[in-house]
Amino acid sequence: MAAAAPVIAAAPSRASTARRVLAVRVAIVLAVLAAWQALAMSGLLFRDVVPPLQAIGGALVALLGRADFYANLGVTAMEIGIAVVIGGLAGLAAGIALGANRFLSNAFEALLLYLGPTPKIVFFPVMLMWFGTGAGSKIAMGVVSCFFPVAISAAAGMREIDAVLIRVGRSFRATTWKMVTSIYLPAMRQPVVNGFRLGLGVAIIGTLLAETKLSNKGLGYLVIQAYATFDMPRMYALLIVLFVLSIGVNALIGRLGRGDRRAIA
Amino acid sequence: MPADALLKVEGIVKRFATADGGITAVDDVSFDVMPGEFVSLIGPSGCGKSTLFNIIGGLVGDYAGRVTVAGTRVTGTHPSIGMVFQEESTFPWRTVLDNVAFPLEIAGLGKIERAERAAHFVKLVGLSGFERRYPSELSGGMRQRVAIARTLASEPRILLMDEPFAALDEQTRLLLGDKVLQIQQELKQTTLLITHNLTEAVQLSDRVLVMTYRPGKIKRIVDVGLPHPRDAEVVSSDAFGHTVAQIWSDLREEASRGIEDDEARVRAGGKP
Amino acid sequence: MSAAAAASATSASRLPAQLCGAASVLAVVAAVELLIRAGAINAFVIPLPSQVIAAIPRIVVEEHIPLRFWQTSKEVLWAALLLATVGIGLGVLLYRVRLLRLATETWVGALAAAPIVLLFPLFLVIFGRSATTIVMIGFCAGLAPVILKTVEGLAGTRPVLIDVGRSLKLTRRQQFWKILLPAALPTVFVGMRLGLVFAMINIVGVEYLINFGGLGQLVNDLAERYDLPGTYGAILFVVLTSIVFFDLTERLERWLRPHR
Repeated sequence: MAAAAPVIAAAPSRASTARRVLAVRVAIVLAVLAAWQALAMSGLLFRDVVPPLQAIGGALVALLGRADFYANLGVTAMEIGIAVVIGGLAGLAAGIALGANRFLSNAFEALLLYLGPTPKIVFFPVMLMWFGTGAGSKIAMGVVSCFFPVAISAAAGMREIDAVLIRVGRSFRATTWKMVTSIYLPAMRQPVVNGFRLGLGVAIIGTLLAETKLSNKGLGYLVIQAYATFDMPRMYALLIVLFVLSIGVNALIGRLGRGDRRAIA
Repeated sequence: MPADALLKVEGIVKRFATADGGITAVDDVSFDVMPGEFVSLIGPSGCGKSTLFNIIGGLVGDYAGRVTVAGTRVTGTHPSIGMVFQEESTFPWRTVLDNVAFPLEIAGLGKIERAERAAHFVKLVGLSGFERRYPSELSGGMRQRVAIARTLASEPRILLMDEPFAALDEQTRLLLGDKVLQIQQELKQTTLLITHNLTEAVQLSDRVLVMTYRPGKIKRIVDVGLPHPRDAEVVSSDAFGHTVAQIWSDLREEASRGIEDDEARVRAGGKP
Repeated sequence: MSAAAAASATSASRLPAQLCGAASVLAVVAAVELLIRAGAINAFVIPLPSQVIAAIPRIVVEEHIPLRFWQTSKEVLWAALLLATVGIGLGVLLYRVRLLRLATETWVGALAAAPIVLLFPLFLVIFGRSATTIVMIGFCAGLAPVILKTVEGLAGTRPVLIDVGRSLKLTRRQQFWKILLPAALPTVFVGMRLGLVFAMINIVGVEYLINFGGLGQLVNDLAERYDLPGTYGAILFVVLTSIVFFDLTERLERWLRPHR
């Protein structure tokens, strides 16, 4: 090693690394877009399977400019919203009950853990029978999907609450309701937010898949319609919107969850 | 003709750049280690001894001065320098035997020869019978023995150990220290031990180098001069106690400086 | 109390609760049976549980359950192969090239949260109504956790283990194969397991949606034939299959790590 000045060479600065990261990201995006356009123009694939970028762009503009898109978006959003409220509250209640009571946990939590990772969409025929072909069955799918992640997170969160806090509540003879609202929920904010985040994710999937299977309204319906009419630019546009919205909402909740934590600290 | 030193450390100076200027971890440290010697380097926390360990072992460059092992300059890690680290360093996915055989595997030895040689070192550290076990099945002390056996299996010219017994309880320390000394005497292994434990340093070494607090320098070199084997009788002798006391008086001053420094920094709003 | 004795003591004390749980499920099923027979619940909406159970041997034979099971398994195996090669490969790449990792890791994280399965109409167009579509959806759905966990495992290697490698003057290749990869393997397995579970869920789901394939297609088929007991029976099969799959992958993961 050098017998020269014994000081460590400066590490690359934060700013220069950030710039290089940005450059790499831009390069990747541009490369993908360029490859896409080349493939689209080449005529190698069947005509609209990979539409040129301008066609997709045009379809996006057309989509976002028409009222019927927003009407369908509203339907889907409403279905998902109701599903998350019902499924989330039910999941929360179940999770808190299981987390609070060792006996109940040993009896039923395995059910949650094993039923959780199953393809809920296969329950759709049953939902159709029970709730009809309208929004009801879609909401039901969302509820079933959303319930499990929330319940599992809540149960785990309950068990991690510092036992001291629970004893404090009991020593003041708080009612169950008071315990839940003043002690359990605030102490579990992080796991519950995470649970809802996951629950929202799967509720979106469940509801949309149900719409693709059997519906005449909603974004899922629009996607299948585009498929059926082989309007590929429109399908791509719809999928782009769906993905941007899902990822966006997920990121938003993630940020809200973190903000909350800083507020507590 | 005087025997030549196996390890020559000359004028090591190491600075680190920090947010508020820089600190000199090690300032002009020089010493020699003779072949077959057991030398301990002792100092308070923050005296730069781990930095020295990394420099001598070749893990860290960018310093002034030079380190020479058997006449060759150290410019990076080298199999002739064996290192035993303070933290858990056994490979959890390999059995005891496979862990110890690791350097032999790297050296390209055949399977049967590897197993034989590794078994020899496993036996040396007193872990016969545990060859097929995994580290997670062993205690902390046993795992450190595996790490030591592994390093010895590479038959290094000089053995460097950075507080290998730090995570162990007192009794295990003493027993393990005994064992290591036994092995060292048997193999005539040149050893440099970094430690903060006074009794350990005196019990195991031929010489003790006492370091100052940061910037680290060699404050004093103490010749232990006690007979081998260092059994219970030797450890409880007057000479032993005297040597320990002598080193403590040096060390205490440095340790106090370290504590004062920490307090000053916390008061100024920084971290210790 | 020895560790083994303590463990069996706790599992013994859990038994009454577990029996209680199982009993409650059976009680609910029995209650539904009685309510339907009593006419309180419409038998055309919920079939008699006894009929559902009776339907099971029928569909096993008539609907070739073993064959369908094998069909779905093949799809999962293909997805697994793709996940292991592409997923772990990309994970290693991201670990090796730091700049690439910094640039794309958040993207992969976003991918993990994205509704990949909604791309199935697109895949239908590209690959047709075939097993390829199903396998590709399974692969895409499971990819993100495999990549993320591979990177996490490699990056999480304890520095001292890397130092051991350095002190023995290992080449980069040796360092990777003999230290980094074995150290990362437990985490990589966790990623593969997550990926496989996501893949399986999406595979069966898409089978249902596009009416092609094995078990998922059976549910769709029986539902369209209005065979109520059959449909419920098939759904039961799907649920049991995913439970077994989930359990098996868990055991496999534990078995592959004997040193933990």
